[in-house]
Amino acid sequence: MMVIETALKALLILLYATFVGFMFMGIIRIVTARIHRRVGPPIYQPILDTIKLLSKKSSITHGLIYDFGIIYALGATILALMFIPLGGVSILRAYGDLILITFLLEIPMLGIMFAAMSSGNPWAGLGAQRALLTLLAIQVPLGFAIVALGEFYGTFSTYQIVMAQQSMGWSITSLPLLLAAVAYDLVLQAMFGKEPFDIMIAPGEISLGPMVEFGGKHMGILQIQHAIALFAETLFFSNIFLGGAVITAFASPIINTLATLVVLLIKQTAVLMVAIFIGAIFPRFTIDQAARFYWKWPTIIAAAGAILAAL
Amino acid sequence: MVDWRLFEPLFEFARRKSLWIVAFCTGCGGIEMPPLMTSRYDLERFGMMPNPAPRMADLFLITGYVTPKTLKRIIITYELQPDPKYVMAHGSCPLNGGVYWDAYNAIKHLDKYIPVDVIIAGCMPRPEAVMDGINKIMEMIEKGTADGWKRYKENYEYYRKNQDELFGEGWREKEARRWIPWLMDRKKEE
Repeated sequence: MMVIETALKALLILLYATFVGFMFMGIIRIVTARIHRRVGPPIYQPILDTIKLLSKKSSITHGLIYDFGIIYALGATILALMFIPLGGVSILRAYGDLILITFLLEIPMLGIMFAAMSSGNPWAGLGAQRALLTLLAIQVPLGFAIVALGEFYGTFSTYQIVMAQQSMGWSITSLPLLLAAVAYDLVLQAMFGKEPFDIMIAPGEISLGPMVEFGGKHMGILQIQHAIALFAETLFFSNIFLGGAVITAFASPIINTLATLVVLLIKQTAVLMVAIFIGAIFPRFTIDQAARFYWKWPTIIAAAGAILAAL
Repeated sequence: MVDWRLFEPLFEFARRKSLWIVAFCTGCGGIEMPPLMTSRYDLERFGMMPNPAPRMADLFLITGYVTPKTLKRIIITYELQPDPKYVMAHGSCPLNGGVYWDAYNAIKHLDKYIPVDVIIAGCMPRPEAVMDGINKIMEMIEKGTADGWKRYKENYEYYRKNQDELFGEGWREKEARRWIPWLMDRKKEE
């Protein structure tokens, strides 16, 4: 009985995350279009894209790793999603360590890189190289931001941090964690692959980088992975910095859960909007500029936050 | 097993509403693409997106005249795309030569070499005409008459004969080895 309930919960989380993730992708395209003073596609456009990609005939493969890397990326994203607290429905939240979740959120990029490099396309190899360098650049500020959180709350458990915020107020209301949040938000820009740091994809420059050789079903699965990753990354940020949501005001647990999801959705959309606005305004960095930027300003801000949290 | 033919209407709708474009912007029609993509005419409201990778392309735009040198690239790019794929040619030049009707180095009839679904007449067609052509190809996908990719498979001998007449035998391997060596190397290993 317990197993069935857990499996059902996991399936519900997965469906909800995929759907909301696709809506987020639609919101990104619509808001960017409105900033350009265009009409923009309908909000369900990413779903249509994915259906079309999955319906295509892909008779091309480049070996086992090419197929496996995609599944690996999708699996790692789903696993990360299960560890992040999501109201009353999350199943592995008690084990959701900050370091574990940040690690799992970065793994998909490695899976995509394996697949891209095994295709042998030079653009894909170049894109994978850039993705690796971006990954390397964001580690330092990310590490300091996580250390600041751990120092401040005395725990690495995401769930305990969410519970602590219910009595102490949101993390960003205290100065050290505000600094950490600013640094983490800059890192999030690279994790989304949005504009100043979309060096890995770079449309028009290295023709989609790692994605260039994926077509048909591979790209369809990658779209689903991207949707879930968008959901998981925004959810993680709103949990650790924006207070998460634990609502116990209503008598029925179902209404409590729904209210939690709505509150989280509002916070996630706010995080996403910041990323879209930054992405729509700024042009692209080159890889050396991005690495220099990440090792300078976000690192200084996050390190200051960590030191202030330790005092 | 699931019978995927049940979902065919849904797939047709998705294909119609999300055409990803690979634009072969060598001719003068390339200059009509920026206004189409940006704020003035905004193709993205129909779900169309410019896409540099042929592996995830649906609609292949040939914008302007075609020379033998570019035709080789066009054929190889066309064959890289996964089915179903659609081709749209801009202007008079791919249709019948246009102003290059007596040029020694321009292809007069593109549809002798690859199947073309929609040709937009004009020299050059305005963005409105291009949007009309896109509307037409969406209708054709809905009715199922945009079957260039099927015709290419069925009449492959005909197209292959015309291509070989122009370029000579074995041009495909020679050309592919020059600009997609990673594909040829893999084939050799197997």
